[in-house]
Amino acid sequence: MAKVFIYPATSLILSDLVARFGHKPLGAALGIRERIQTAGVDSPPLQITPEEPKRGLKYAAVEVPSGVRGRMAIYGPLLEEAEAAIIVTDADLAFGCMGCARTDELILFSLRQSGIPILELKYPTNEEEGVQFVAAVKKFLAGLENGGEA
Amino acid sequence: MMAEYSPEYVGTVTRYVFVESPSMTPGELALRAYEASEGVLIKETCFGLQVTGDPESVDRLIEEIRTFDPSHIFVKDRGFPPGDPRRCRANLGGARPGYLGHEREFRILRYITRGLEELDRRGEEAEVPEEPAPPVREKKPKLDIKRLQELIETEES
Amino acid sequence: MSRKVRIAQLSCGPEYSGVQKEIYDAAESVDAEVFFPDIALADVEQAVDAFGLDVRSADLKLMIARGKALVDGKVDADGVFIGTCFRCAEAAIVRNELRRYIHEHSRLPVVSYSFTERTTAGTLLTRMEALTTIARRRALLAREEQTGITMGVDSGSSTTKAVVMKDNEIVGTGWLPTTEVIKSAEGAVASALEMAGLAREDIQAVGTTGYGRFLIGRHLGADLIQEELTVNSKGAVYLADHQRGASTVIDIGGMDNKAISVLDGIPGTFTMGGICAGASGRFLEMTAKRLGVDITELGPLAMKGMGKNVPMNSYCIVFGTQSLVNALAAGSSREDVAAAACHSVAEQVFEQQLQEIDIKEPVIMVGGTSLIEGLVYAMGQLLQTEILVPPHSQYIGAVGSALLASGFIKGE
Repeated sequence: MAKVFIYPATSLILSDLVARFGHKPLGAALGIRERIQTAGVDSPPLQITPEEPKRGLKYAAVEVPSGVRGRMAIYGPLLEEAEAAIIVTDADLAFGCMGCARTDELILFSLRQSGIPILELKYPTNEEEGVQFVAAVKKFLAGLENGGEA
Repeated sequence: MMAEYSPEYVGTVTRYVFVESPSMTPGELALRAYEASEGVLIKETCFGLQVTGDPESVDRLIEEIRTFDPSHIFVKDRGFPPGDPRRCRANLGGARPGYLGHEREFRILRYITRGLEELDRRGEEAEVPEEPAPPVREKKPKLDIKRLQELIETEES
Repeated sequence: MSRKVRIAQLSCGPEYSGVQKEIYDAAESVDAEVFFPDIALADVEQAVDAFGLDVRSADLKLMIARGKALVDGKVDADGVFIGTCFRCAEAAIVRNELRRYIHEHSRLPVVSYSFTERTTAGTLLTRMEALTTIARRRALLAREEQTGITMGVDSGSSTTKAVVMKDNEIVGTGWLPTTEVIKSAEGAVASALEMAGLAREDIQAVGTTGYGRFLIGRHLGADLIQEELTVNSKGAVYLADHQRGASTVIDIGGMDNKAISVLDGIPGTFTMGGICAGASGRFLEMTAKRLGVDITELGPLAMKGMGKNVPMNSYCIVFGTQSLVNALAAGSSREDVAAAACHSVAEQVFEQQLQEIDIKEPVIMVGGTSLIEGLVYAMGQLLQTEILVPPHSQYIGAVGSALLASGFIKGE
């Protein structure tokens, strides 16, 4: 079972397909869950405290807006953990954790720099593309070293 | 106003289960899921379910639920436990941003369903027919300078 | 208890900067609630298309759609808070255009703010309070005339001002540097009463404003305790005799600056800035000290100089002042240095605050710094307009408070 970062990190489709074909999807929910389940200073809604943008300095300089650094504090550890990634390149309507274009650019850059296997594709717009999409994801996941069930 | 935060549901995982099926409603999904729940917390929603419990039990239940209608049931991790007031539409005044992101993908779930069914039909032996074409960056040839001059001259005459 | 004021939040990033709780807390402390206008995905796509600002970040698209839902009347709100990350250019464009759009197409009061992870509820409090004042006290803010005998006290960060008013006239004024908040207030009140020839018992209603408003409000048993954004707007249009229509109020204070776009005496959009001392009255005090003149002489001195003759490398109160000192050492005239200091403060306020509101004439400058004519001149040059400084402009908060307090006289 390989740890596969999904982009958009909030994607239902990617999260589902990665798990369905026997791997572990790494997405926003894992980062949020970790914070929601950790005791500390109350900071609703996401339990992201003002400390997180400071932790984000590991990934982006201080002149980068706090919202980018705060988001990177969630994604940075997941990116480091990832053994592969699937990227949907036309995910322009992913909000919240994925709602900042600058963060998204930085995430994609980090993934491409990391040297892990990456599958880049677009959302299907018809049934034929749907078949291609699922087939490509399945094939990519099957080819990963830590093999899945597929 | 620094207040302390004590988390609930520590050590659990929550997953969304979406059903987009002509043969199974969220209500029916919930009924069958309850039967198989074995202690996993199940909450019915308009799109399907949220299941919460220790990771192993949730994995087991999800595996079971998927068999109900494999190509029409989709599963995703959730950071929050079910019914959390911080994410509740009633408290926020509107849907949390993540909901709109789901809406985006709901539109194309039927293509994914089609893909799953088609691959299932072809079986394990069937080769993936073709690679999806990688996104191509179109490069237009530069306009030749002589050609440009000709164009200008034609326009002027 | 009145119903909670509903403030629509249009934002990108506060949850991830760890400051959403600060926004919630600030709203709660003024009995308001923040909410997020409910829309569907199709609304986002349509709204972004119709608005015509093609941004990349999806959360900014969401902001645009939520703003449009407010303007279209699909969602009800009493006020709007627009917040985006400090230093994000994409968000700054959306913040400004959306603020302008809502201001032009609705009657909703709007405050915009760019936050960092250091933003606290305290910083946001006055802004939230102003939004709730506008929602709750529209009737009171409509008051155009002072009646009876009332007193207003403005407990500012640098000075404390008191004004006694009787039958729509200012009959007594007093001021002191703010040292101990209550003591300074008592001193200012005593002077104002003495000048008016009245006793404390003669006062029928009291209003307080400024940083120390809650403390002195309790101490004086004030009838009205209100933030300085709405009070100063009211005071400015009252003193400038421009109560109807649009105007712009600029107040460069000792600790923060206010820029308010006013319509019929009520703030429409406003900003408050308080991060940099180089954009405050303090900078001019330091300059005056350096030049060995009283602050009251700095303005006339500046009017005789040419700011352009003095190279300034920084707006900073430390490094900028250093530039001025260097210029003096290099032979610049005191007049030129005074003018350069005035220009520096005006320019920074122009760049940082005035871009967040729409400038509509007349532009009214108030507060103690409005008496420094070099500063007013520099601001006029930057805005290319003649700036109005009404009489008693330094007492703006106290006058606004006294005016509004007359709404609380028994039997009124």
